[in-house]
Amino acid sequence: MIRPDDHLAALFAQDLPPGRDPVFATSVLEAVARRRFQREMVFITAASFVGAAVLAALWPALQPAVNALAQGLAPAGLAIVAAAIVVILASWRPGADLGLR
Amino acid sequence: MTPMAFDGGHVPSQDIARLVERHQQALRAFLRRACGDWALADDLAQETFLTAWEKIGELGPDANVRAWLCTIGYNKSLTALRSARRARRREADYQDAAPGVGAPHPAEKMALDRAMADLPVEQRAAVALCLAGDFSHAEAAQILALPLGTVKSHVTRGRARLLQALGTADDPA
Repeated sequence: MIRPDDHLAALFAQDLPPGRDPVFATSVLEAVARRRFQREMVFITAASFVGAAVLAALWPALQPAVNALAQGLAPAGLAIVAAAIVVILASWRPGADLGLR
Repeated sequence: MTPMAFDGGHVPSQDIARLVERHQQALRAFLRRACGDWALADDLAQETFLTAWEKIGELGPDANVRAWLCTIGYNKSLTALRSARRARRREADYQDAAPGVGAPHPAEKMALDRAMADLPVEQRAAVALCLAGDFSHAEAAQILALPLGTVKSHVTRGRARLLQALGTADDPA
């Protein structure tokens, strides 16, 4: 005759989830990835606002220096942009990224 | 049981996967029996692992990970059970998820589920851990934050009520 505790255990065993459940594990990993992404977005947004606020506060003091620097670097900046365009055009091979060449 | 090495909130995905693989069965089984709602139990288990991921740094080197997870899950289930609105929303899902057709003793299983549902929350959780699960009384006391004697009393009384509901004679021992 089956013992009462074994009887209970057999009935409870019907509720037992599988020992390995890839669907559940995947759902947990998805939730963790979502939470991680949300945290990173919150951090980046907060850092952006702080950076923008600091820049706005310092802008009156920085503006003369930035203007002077921009005027001084304008020819060099144009040269860098032109060089970058030449390099890009020279190395551009249509279809290479698609594995056609 | 020794917890795995984690780095605070920067827990590698493979470590989370290992944590889930090792403990999901015990945690989900406990939550299913403690709250009687399979869909809700699985949601709570998922939230438990999320909380564990966030708080893994607080875990001591000799901590019982399974008991720690069940403690988190139990606290979440208490919060959820207080929310009648949420329970009602999940009721339909439970009807779909609960087995019945094809089970060896569907009538007895239903009687057991009803009897479990009628138990007080703490008694039900103690029974779920010690009778339905393989947790020791000491582990259950830690998880439920109850004195050891109270847990033993809950288990004894809960067992008697379940056997009575099933019409099963208790051992004369």
